[in-house]
Amino acid sequence: MKLPSPSRSIDSLRHPWLWAGPGALVGVAMIVFSVLAWASPAPAQGQPAGPAAVKPVSSNKAFVGAGQELYLDHCSACHGIGGIGGKAPELLDVGPAAVDFFLSTGRMPLASPNLEPQPHQPYFGPVQIAQIVAYVNAIDIANGTPGPGIPVVTPACSAETPRCPTLSEGNALYLLNCAQCHDASGSGGELSHGYIVPSLRSATPTQIAEAIRVGPRPMPNFGPGELTDQQVSSIADYIAYITGRPDPGGLGIAHFGPVPEGFVGIIFGLGILLVVCRIIGNRG
Amino acid sequence: MTTVQERSAARKRAKRQEQILDWVDDRFGSSKWLRSAMDKIFPDHWSFMVGEIAMYCFLILILTGVYLALFYTPSSAIVHYAGPYKPLDGQSMTEAYQSVVNISFSVRFGLLMRQAHHWAANIFLAAIAFHMCRIFFTGAFRKPREVNWLIGVTLLLIAMLEGFSGYSLPDDLLSGSGLRVVFSIIEGIPWIGPWLAFNLWGGAFPGSGAFLERLFVIHEFLFPLLLAGLLGGHLAILWHQKHTDFPGPGKTEHNIVGSRLWPQYTVKSTALLMFISAVVFGLGGLVQINPIWIYGPFEPSRSSAGTQPDWYVGWLDGALRLMPHWEFRSFGLEIANPVFPGIVLPGVVFTVIYAWPWIDKRLFRDYAEHNLLDRPRDRPLRTALGVAALLFFTDLTLASATDLIGNGLQISFELLIEILQYGSFIGPIVGFFVAYQACLLLQTTQAHPIQRPVGGIIVRDAKGAFHTLGASHNGDHADGDHADHGDHADGEQSDGHRRGGQAAGVAGTSEDAPPSAAPAAHSALPPTSHS
Amino acid sequence: MTHEPSVSGLPGAWDDAPDAPVSPALGHHSEHVVALPAVMTGTHGAEEGAGAGTPWPDDVPPDQDDTWFPLRDDPWRARRMEYLIAAFFAVTGACGIGIMVAYVDGAQTQWEGSFFALATLCLGIGLVLWARWLLPGHDIVASRGHHTSGPEERALVVASLSRGADAMLTRRGFLAKKVLLPVGGIFGVALIWPLASLGVRPGLSLFHTKWYAGCHLVTEDGTWVHVDDVMVDGLLTVYPEGNIEDAASPAVLLNIGGAAMQARPGQAGFEVKSAGNGLVCFSKICSHAGCAVSLFNVLSMQLICPCHQSTFNILQDCKPVFGPAPRPLPQLPLGVDTNGYLISVSDFVEPIGPGFFDRSDWKPSDG
Repeated sequence: MKLPSPSRSIDSLRHPWLWAGPGALVGVAMIVFSVLAWASPAPAQGQPAGPAAVKPVSSNKAFVGAGQELYLDHCSACHGIGGIGGKAPELLDVGPAAVDFFLSTGRMPLASPNLEPQPHQPYFGPVQIAQIVAYVNAIDIANGTPGPGIPVVTPACSAETPRCPTLSEGNALYLLNCAQCHDASGSGGELSHGYIVPSLRSATPTQIAEAIRVGPRPMPNFGPGELTDQQVSSIADYIAYITGRPDPGGLGIAHFGPVPEGFVGIIFGLGILLVVCRIIGNRG
Repeated sequence: MTTVQERSAARKRAKRQEQILDWVDDRFGSSKWLRSAMDKIFPDHWSFMVGEIAMYCFLILILTGVYLALFYTPSSAIVHYAGPYKPLDGQSMTEAYQSVVNISFSVRFGLLMRQAHHWAANIFLAAIAFHMCRIFFTGAFRKPREVNWLIGVTLLLIAMLEGFSGYSLPDDLLSGSGLRVVFSIIEGIPWIGPWLAFNLWGGAFPGSGAFLERLFVIHEFLFPLLLAGLLGGHLAILWHQKHTDFPGPGKTEHNIVGSRLWPQYTVKSTALLMFISAVVFGLGGLVQINPIWIYGPFEPSRSSAGTQPDWYVGWLDGALRLMPHWEFRSFGLEIANPVFPGIVLPGVVFTVIYAWPWIDKRLFRDYAEHNLLDRPRDRPLRTALGVAALLFFTDLTLASATDLIGNGLQISFELLIEILQYGSFIGPIVGFFVAYQACLLLQTTQAHPIQRPVGGIIVRDAKGAFHTLGASHNGDHADGDHADHGDHADGEQSDGHRRGGQAAGVAGTSEDAPPSAAPAAHSALPPTSHS
Repeated sequence: MTHEPSVSGLPGAWDDAPDAPVSPALGHHSEHVVALPAVMTGTHGAEEGAGAGTPWPDDVPPDQDDTWFPLRDDPWRARRMEYLIAAFFAVTGACGIGIMVAYVDGAQTQWEGSFFALATLCLGIGLVLWARWLLPGHDIVASRGHHTSGPEERALVVASLSRGADAMLTRRGFLAKKVLLPVGGIFGVALIWPLASLGVRPGLSLFHTKWYAGCHLVTEDGTWVHVDDVMVDGLLTVYPEGNIEDAASPAVLLNIGGAAMQARPGQAGFEVKSAGNGLVCFSKICSHAGCAVSLFNVLSMQLICPCHQSTFNILQDCKPVFGPAPRPLPQLPLGVDTNGYLISVSDFVEPIGPGFFDRSDWKPSDG
């Protein structure tokens, strides 16, 4: 007397040890999720604390001279000799913050003045950047129009203190002034005419502070009349805080809110359950 | 092989069961009902369990919801945060928001429960949507199940509102923006709009201090009661009418094939509940959802990029984005722009969905009772319309994420919105034709891929006589087999079928068509091309 | 698919796989299913018409083997299956302990979630294995019976209903139709009348904000805004002094530098110009659905709303150029007090925010 199969289900139920496969997969997925959730990205570099609100820029002649060499080779074709401008805007009043920002985020140098500056691996090393910054700073001072200096971001309170006015101030200012473009979680967004608002999750606190002061177009700027140096530093600290620590709820997905959450809920949540139904139920 | 001990243990067990059932019957006279309940048959097809997924998600939502309600404070009073999450330290916020931040960071299990609750809500609606699609595409809404369809669509509607009100309770920036949009939609309704909006909110936006309490009552009390009541009705009707089933070997309009409620179905259903809990709590613990501490408390002067509602309301938000900037003004009166995508569109959509069983009857001239389901391919017109509708909603849902998609794909939202505007009617039209053709193609392929063909094989013996193989058939299979591919048990024919079926069905056929007609049709045809 | 014609009459002729019955729905042992009683498929009941005597109580089919389960006749495999199920349940138990330990140890969300998920997962797997292999009740066939009533019952219920309906409607028609119906309507409306107390009437509140002549612009913390505070290409969110919480009043102050503003009729001269600076102030509440508009694209001089991507050209007095917004953002008339702090000259000259029915101030000819 033959034993018919109870129903036309998949053969893995004849052989219970085949459950080990899916079971192991689920277990591995859980471990991977947990590790991803708990692994924190490398914390952004903090700047050394100091009483000055802006970082001093070297005026050493040799240093500035090296910067001038680099400038002539890489920048003068568009920005003109001595920063007087040409195909690209003039640099006579931009200040160290702008130069440092554009160079350290790799937005400059651009291959052509018609291109849109995009974040990139920096083309220059830190020392070279400092030299070019020093050179442009020297031009600006000579022109009598020094621009915004590189903000110093003082680190927020240590983990042990129960209160942290810096982070709290940064949170409030960020949500009022920045979140509409950069998203509450710092993941970025989009402006009109296709300008992409970049994510802040991989920016250093200094770069964030520089961007606030400089307002690299199409971003608006926020001058000292709007935000004090301390407030700028707080905003940068806040972003470093939320992007630097593991998300308390687990995997952050894309940090973009309900849209990726909905994807995960439907495709993983309901999807896994449909597979489960398929295994439990019949197919015919 | 029963041993002496096992037999005596079995006798003891039987005696105890007898005692318990006697006790119950003495009070309720329940034996007959209990027996029919325990013996009740439920078909086992996997897609029939999706409604159960929704039901169990609802159960999980209630359990986690009660837990959350114990810690939530429905109050708009302004307080200053002094808890462990530093970036909110000292900031002013409503007590409601503070209580949710406390649940997340100060209550053990709190964040797990909150996230599990939210994930369960997302899966709840996904399951309802899938279930509704399954009912639609297989024609399970046909007589006698039209009322159950109406109840089901109402459940969908209330579930959507329940979800929306639920994630608006924490009063964070994201959900507060959503409430502002809904306020504006209601405000735009002609004549009664501003009065109605002010009435619901208790004043100008963001409403009086009582608004969050009202939302709390609606979310905790009014809607769950409605959902539970309607769900009870939904299940009671299903219980009484019995579940539909796919056509297949041995299945007819008059029998039902499946597992008994006790013990098979009960245990498997409990197992499904366990799997759903596993997924919900797995997601709740391992994947972050709705981090309200990142959004901060709602302020009318703040907004964030990536402001979208939860996915099941996404189609409405997308409709708002895709709507051209029309507004109508005359005689000093105006009909505001958000009214069209926010009130007119869902009104039309839900009217059509509610009326669908009757539209379907008219469309296919099929007023008969059905207990066997259609395969989607056997009703190409219905399937194609359903596919078109799904594409429409998908287009609208994608439209709600234009800034994120633009950010991800590096294209402007102007272009994206324009594409999706055209796509909202081109997509469904193209999808209609593709689905229709796909159905026709599938009909001519092999038999149903997961059923084996059953029907008569006619053999001619040496004397020239014809015999139908499978003498046990006796015409018993006639009602359910697919040998003549598309002929239904009651003598009707499916539409659009290439092998000679006409689009018109047989109007007014009673559910008990004499089976003598069917065997005649059955034996008249040769083995089909798909055998 | 090929079929071996067989004259044995056994349904097993259909399949190449010999152990799969043709009609598994009709029982597990093919040799039992040579000739089903017609009653099993319900055609008997069908022939006799609706309700005319289903042969046995609903859903309790005789003649089917109710005690069969797949491992009934293989106790050794059954025992192994039991051990496997027990192993899964044991994992569930261990995870239960894990949940409690994790709770005591600070209740880390990821650990709790993983333990809970694994516990329920293993419980579910154990239950499925149990049901599938060790419990009976698979693939039973039963009659659907008739969920409808027969003609006699239907006649009786009509008689019961008409007992009352006749009396109420035909002989007491005056009471039922002419009195009760209108009274019921009025009473029904009266019952829902208290809902009106849920909220205040809008009155004129949608037409005005808290800005007034001489009101200082302040930031979120109440500080007055000076005419030099905002640099060119900068923006600042401002509120009316003393009414920072008002939801309709927030505005966005922009410095457009030397660019020329094409004001709409009725809004000329609202900006404050000084050397190289051009300060303009617009309502922050979107004219589409009320979200806060403050994405500022400096290159195209546009304000964008994050909710539905409505885009406003700043230099055309915030005229909407893309997206669903149908009307421009109203501009706040700015002035400067004697110390150089910004004030509003008056309230907005039109209602802010989304449209509503009796909002009659703005006409398309306004531009």
